[in-house]
Amino acid sequence: MDMTLNAFTLSILTGLQLGSIYVLIALGLTLIFGTLGVVNFAHGALYLIAIYLAVSINNALGFGLALILVPPILFIIGVLLERGLIQRFYDRPHTDQILVTFGLAIVIQELLKWAFGANNIPFSIPSWGNGIIFMHDYLPFLEGFVVYPKWRMILVVVAIVTVSAVFALLHLTRFGLVIRAGMRDAEMLQFLGVNINRRFMVVFGLGAMIAGIAGVFGGPVTQVSPEVGMQLLVPSFLIVVIGGMGSLGGAVLASILIGMAQSFTAPYIYINTIIIYLITVIILLVRPRGLLGAKGVFE
Amino acid sequence: MTDVKSENTNHKAGWSRRDVLKATSAGAAAGVTPMFFTQNAWAEEALGNYPVKGSEVVLGFNVPQTGAYADEGADELRAYKLAVKHLNNGGGMLDTLKPSKLTGNGILGKKVTYVTGDTQTNADASRTSARRMIERDKVIMVTGGSSSGIAIAQQYLCNELGIIFMCGLTHSNDTTGKDKQRYGFRHFFNAHMTGKALSPVLSKEYGKDRRAFHLTADYSWGHTQQESMQEFTEKEGWSTAGNIMTPLKTTDFSQYLSQVLNSDADVLILNHYGANMVNSLTNAVNFGMRDMQKNGKNLEIVVPLYSRLMAKGAGSANIDGVLGTSGWNWALQDEGSKVFVKTFTDEYGFPPSQAAHTCYVQTLLYANACEMAGTFYPPEVIKALEDFQFTGAGNGETLYRGSDHQCIKNILVMQGKSPSARSSEFDYLQIVDEVDAKTVDYDPAIFGGELGPYVPA
Repeated sequence: MDMTLNAFTLSILTGLQLGSIYVLIALGLTLIFGTLGVVNFAHGALYLIAIYLAVSINNALGFGLALILVPPILFIIGVLLERGLIQRFYDRPHTDQILVTFGLAIVIQELLKWAFGANNIPFSIPSWGNGIIFMHDYLPFLEGFVVYPKWRMILVVVAIVTVSAVFALLHLTRFGLVIRAGMRDAEMLQFLGVNINRRFMVVFGLGAMIAGIAGVFGGPVTQVSPEVGMQLLVPSFLIVVIGGMGSLGGAVLASILIGMAQSFTAPYIYINTIIIYLITVIILLVRPRGLLGAKGVFE
Repeated sequence: MTDVKSENTNHKAGWSRRDVLKATSAGAAAGVTPMFFTQNAWAEEALGNYPVKGSEVVLGFNVPQTGAYADEGADELRAYKLAVKHLNNGGGMLDTLKPSKLTGNGILGKKVTYVTGDTQTNADASRTSARRMIERDKVIMVTGGSSSGIAIAQQYLCNELGIIFMCGLTHSNDTTGKDKQRYGFRHFFNAHMTGKALSPVLSKEYGKDRRAFHLTADYSWGHTQQESMQEFTEKEGWSTAGNIMTPLKTTDFSQYLSQVLNSDADVLILNHYGANMVNSLTNAVNFGMRDMQKNGKNLEIVVPLYSRLMAKGAGSANIDGVLGTSGWNWALQDEGSKVFVKTFTDEYGFPPSQAAHTCYVQTLLYANACEMAGTFYPPEVIKALEDFQFTGAGNGETLYRGSDHQCIKNILVMQGKSPSARSSEFDYLQIVDEVDAKTVDYDPAIFGGELGPYVPA
């Protein structure tokens, strides 16, 4: 298939949009891993809870309330999960953490399937987000008929805003300073009299809340079915690894890279299905700590 | 004197020529008698789980109880349980299936029981589950499945073990084509028949000068569905702009839909099924493809294989006007369909899906074949099913073709209903055309494959 300027633009937009979903999931994942050192395989299930909550509230009460309610509810779920289960595994080996969070993910997935059925639940886009954007209006160099769904562009904007907010929180606030210090050396922070455990609880809740935002805006794109969580989890984990364990900037960069790679290889099924693994292998061979992984951190 | 003596001597021996002839006739008659009264009672050796011991016979229902097709699996299981109920107590299609030797007293006088398994829509899991049912639970027949890959995997295993496999929902040409097996039977229609039935309707509806782009699920069914749709739409004068194979577990199709947008195609054919189709169709609608014009014509979306559960998942606003095919629909008004819908609805509170229909009919057809053969001995049951012609099961006059074990029957061209046209929460699709069996019939030789021997090596 010849790559015209129109096709190139469409592929770039698609890559950005795919990357946006990944970044919203990988961001929470890398935040939790970077801060708490917990490999949270239940993060995909948190996204799953978010999309089911979002579609239920959206269908019953409208999108506005879904947007207002879902992220805080996910924050609370995250906090309860951390206090009730995850904190008991901080000092246990990574394999134990993986087993318990993976088990939890399966339980959540099957519970949702039991409650809502295995089939998709239609998630209608609110009227203000429906329709298509004529790209020529914004990118005059394009010729002819190039369109893109408005909702997917909104998703890209939401991802940019969320990423910016998380960066601002971590780099412009005292809370962020403590968290970043905790990511480097939690033990030293405790010696300095900082109650890092309470902050870890908030970080876990924050990671879950980002999954909540992803669910509200990503649900109509990824669809609402019980399999979605697991399907997004593997690429999101690889993104965390490619970006550098615990590196937020790395997660953003890797999300865009994977999104673009998937978009540009779409016509070639055999490359398309393995491209994410191919990139992971190449990056880990060339740069074992990941794209933006700090030297000595989780290396 | 000599003559008299001679006659006396013969008498003393007790055998006259007439006696010998009588005895020979009687002996011959006695020797043949079991064949008159025990139909097909010839060399029946132990095979698979034959002979069936005890007063019960066990059937194995292997359906997806978890995974992407769990809802369809649940409906299949409901239908199987209903079939067992009717086989043991009468009712349902036992009253409409013709010809039928079913009495409502089990199968061959044995009470029908069942075990269930979970295929997980995974070939390895389905084989493990089927093997467990065969080896541990001693099932005489296995049936089920909601995917061609799974059906084909089980069909091979059952063939090897001498157990008849009555396919559930499988639509790939391969199931009764290159992968056909002597012990496998498919009541459901296939991708080739879909292409043959749907393409003339598409050309009538959308015109002959059309350019199609296919998005195709990357597995056995998707491949054969795409080939068949391309073959028959091109026979109608359409051209093909492109085809992209999409991984089965794709949820976001934007990367593939971008390629469609960038092509000069004015028809998008989604060779996807189940959740895959729901996702791709919903994505296509989000991309504005239902309201788009290409080449001066409305861009049309086609879903070759439809089901009510898929239509529900996609939402009626998205499927409004979209054409496809189905094997059966609960709105059909023939006697067989009506009685099945009534008994199913009475039992479960909602009408059955096409998956439920095909699984129910398969169970009855197997049971009836045992009754016709007078035995559970698989080779004889297979012979009873081969070239069996029947009616009253919801698809008009139907032939279980002996040469490839494919049912040749009427199929339905369906169209999605608009939200305002729906009369109930189960009413998503309307029947546009019932294409008769003769029209969708084909030469089984085109797909190759060998059924193999009646007694597996």
